[in-house]
Amino acid sequence: MLRFYFEVAGTAFRRQIVYRWANLAGLCTNIFFALIVSYIIIALYAVRPVVAGYDVHDTLRYTWMMQAILMVVLPFGFTDLMQTIRTGDVVTDLSKPCDFYLYWFSREMGKNVYYAIFRGLPTYLAGMVIFKLGVPLTWQSWLAFGLIPPFGATLGIAYRFLYNIVAFWIIEARAVVSFALTIAQFLTGSFIPLPLLPGWLQTIVNWLPFRGFMDLPVQVFLGKISGSLLWGAFGLQVGWLIILTCLVLWLVQVARQHVVVQGG
Amino acid sequence: MTVIIDAQALQKNFRVAKRRPGIFGGLRSIVDPEVRIVSAVQDLSLQVQRGEMVGLVGPNGAGKSTTIKMLTGILTPSGGEIRVAGLTPIHQRRELSKRIGVVFGQRTQLWWDLPLLDSLQLLRHLYRVPEARHRENLKQLRVMLDLDEFIDTPVRQLSLGQRMRGDLAAALLHEPELLYLDEPTIGLDVVAKARIREFLLALNTQRSTTVLITTHDMDDIETLCPRILIIDHGRKLYDGAVKDIRTRFGGERTLIAVLDGSELARLAMLPSAEDGLATLPDLPAGVRLLKLDGPQIELGFGREALPAHELVAWLGARYTLRDVTFREPDIEDIIRRIYEKDLLLGDIGMPV
Amino acid sequence: MWRNLWEDLQLYQHLLVIQIKAQLQYKANLSLDIISYLGITGLEFVALLLYFVPFRTLLGWHVGEVAMLAAVMSLSFGLSELIGAGIDNFSVLINRGEFDRVLLRPVSAFVQVIGNDFRLRRLGRITQGMLAFALALHFLPALHWTFFKLLVLGIGIISGTIIFLSIVLLGATLCFWTVETTEITNILTYGSREMLSYPLTIYHQVLQRFFLFIVPVAFASYVPVCYVLERPLPFGLPAELALASPIVALLFALVSGWIWTFGVRHYQSTGS
Repeated sequence: MLRFYFEVAGTAFRRQIVYRWANLAGLCTNIFFALIVSYIIIALYAVRPVVAGYDVHDTLRYTWMMQAILMVVLPFGFTDLMQTIRTGDVVTDLSKPCDFYLYWFSREMGKNVYYAIFRGLPTYLAGMVIFKLGVPLTWQSWLAFGLIPPFGATLGIAYRFLYNIVAFWIIEARAVVSFALTIAQFLTGSFIPLPLLPGWLQTIVNWLPFRGFMDLPVQVFLGKISGSLLWGAFGLQVGWLIILTCLVLWLVQVARQHVVVQGG
Repeated sequence: MTVIIDAQALQKNFRVAKRRPGIFGGLRSIVDPEVRIVSAVQDLSLQVQRGEMVGLVGPNGAGKSTTIKMLTGILTPSGGEIRVAGLTPIHQRRELSKRIGVVFGQRTQLWWDLPLLDSLQLLRHLYRVPEARHRENLKQLRVMLDLDEFIDTPVRQLSLGQRMRGDLAAALLHEPELLYLDEPTIGLDVVAKARIREFLLALNTQRSTTVLITTHDMDDIETLCPRILIIDHGRKLYDGAVKDIRTRFGGERTLIAVLDGSELARLAMLPSAEDGLATLPDLPAGVRLLKLDGPQIELGFGREALPAHELVAWLGARYTLRDVTFREPDIEDIIRRIYEKDLLLGDIGMPV
Repeated sequence: MWRNLWEDLQLYQHLLVIQIKAQLQYKANLSLDIISYLGITGLEFVALLLYFVPFRTLLGWHVGEVAMLAAVMSLSFGLSELIGAGIDNFSVLINRGEFDRVLLRPVSAFVQVIGNDFRLRRLGRITQGMLAFALALHFLPALHWTFFKLLVLGIGIISGTIIFLSIVLLGATLCFWTVETTEITNILTYGSREMLSYPLTIYHQVLQRFFLFIVPVAFASYVPVCYVLERPLPFGLPAELALASPIVALLFALVSGWIWTFGVRHYQSTGS
């Protein structure tokens, strides 16, 4: 069975590879946006060298890493699941012998690997070339970096599954999608780096699940968080992952009944 | 009669970029694309008289929709001449579009969320039809297509048949002289199909609208079109009357004879061939046994083989006959045979 | 020609009316939609304001001044989105083969495309723009207003609308060749909007020149806002350049209109 899920992931990966031009266009867009934010940050730092322990270089790295993993964690326009609900294909998917969530999870993981290699890596490399960002990792943070971003991606999948599955109950769910994405982008630090936020807002944001999406992985990458602070934050996010996953599984259950009642 | 469509030696080639497999192949394709020329329509000539109903038939990808697109001015031909209603489609596209109507069976031009009537009203502005004329046409079409029962219903709630009637009305509000129908009965049930055909015949007689239909449904052709055009691989294979196609390419007719019950014993003694089917001894050349089912016997025979009455006589001389009927070959089979075997390549039929 | 233009405008109006009618059928849904759109765009604006908590100024620009840039940008972008979203959605039209239908009608293809996807929810961004503008005024109590400044701001917003419409038209034209790269248009629409919500001079010279002289989005916000705030323009350009916004916008619109016709012709020869 495990092999089946790997197969699903592999297929999703290969399907993405077909869209070379789309990827190139997307990559340009990622780089352009990171570029704009970089100039804004450089101009802002002209009046003050350090904010909350972040100098201009740290914030630039933060920005580029954020753009690099954006498509992995919060891909725009993920409405695939929603579409199967609208067309009714979901009914067949639900009755397949595999686990419904694991099936989608594998698909998205396959895509994530693709985005990490063909979007994330080149984006950050571009940043390295343009702004001489460098790679700030020590060997300890390499270890943590191997663990925490994949974990963030897992949270991201649970999240995108959640805002898609609402289509079972809401007919015009497009507004929900864009709302969910904007909130998540804001609270995970993709509009403005979380370390630059006022203290009270940071305290709130730190307790929310969104921090684990991208901010925590990026901070680990920068080596700005380590030791007990890191493991505390990580533990909190594990808790969130369990909650979100349970929520997903429960909603799948409810949806399944919903489908059965409607008679397929 | 006057000519409404006149196309000479139409030609359409497409450039298709091929993708190389693999990641590196893909990168190479971006820099150095491999281009292949595909010819979708080749040397196609066609003349349609005003008031005719013509069926355009061919397998998927035969070049039917490419041809229609060139005739409507959406697509520029790579070669050849076209005049439709006296206009050159590609250069006078907007003028021409006032005089033609197009219905795509699989794509509606009605607004999904709006009541049918709203869409039909909006079309007045999209075709710039004077208000009085529009009102008059709408009144007529409402009667002819029986639209009133669902005219206030949003289009997304209509059945497929109702939607098709709505689409026909939409395409006819500006009184086109020429109507292109692309698969107008696809997906409809028998009753809905019959209704659409009835309407088209009425339209053709009352307004003498010229109709060009592409379809896979041979019943459409047989009920609507005296003339048929068969296209495959972008070439015209046949152009002529539907009834002629049978006599010329009909292949086998079938004689169905019911023998007297007393013959059953003799039939049971017939020797069997390898495939298990019984064989009749000394069948005339070109005649074969298709089926033997109790007292019923079916013989297939080619038109050239022998006249039907001689075959009846031959059979009557050997068995006691109760009943004899003939079945004409299925037009769909004939056409499939034509384009599977390229029967007509190079043999261009005459217009009626 | 004027008669054609008038008829096109009437047609556009008919297209809008019918879609508004359809959307008003579900009023609750619609107001929810508008509010959520306001929320989304508002959150982007809040992020901009939050930068000014740790940092007091941006190259000498205060929060109120930057807020005015962003507000003007939101207004012209929001208007262009409201008027011409059908063009932004053009790849769908191409993918479904519905552009053929557009060509089969005796009216302008452009008007049919621009009027094909009108959504009232986009009022959300315009509302956000107005609120942001009010906030900017609140931050700038000492700003001296004249009739000319108001005029410049007004024509700036209208010019900006035309420029953004021209950009999405260029993006739509690209769809005649490939629908895969629609995201690249986002650089010029969302990207330039984001970018020019901040003072132009913070960017690299190449970018400054590009958005002044090639894709003149700077004429939609930066140039008129500098006129209002009495700030100097880069490259020694005169402040009165703000009055040239409509000319620049029309020129850009003409060029993209010409490229669009070229694209339609290409579509007619390839049919894809």
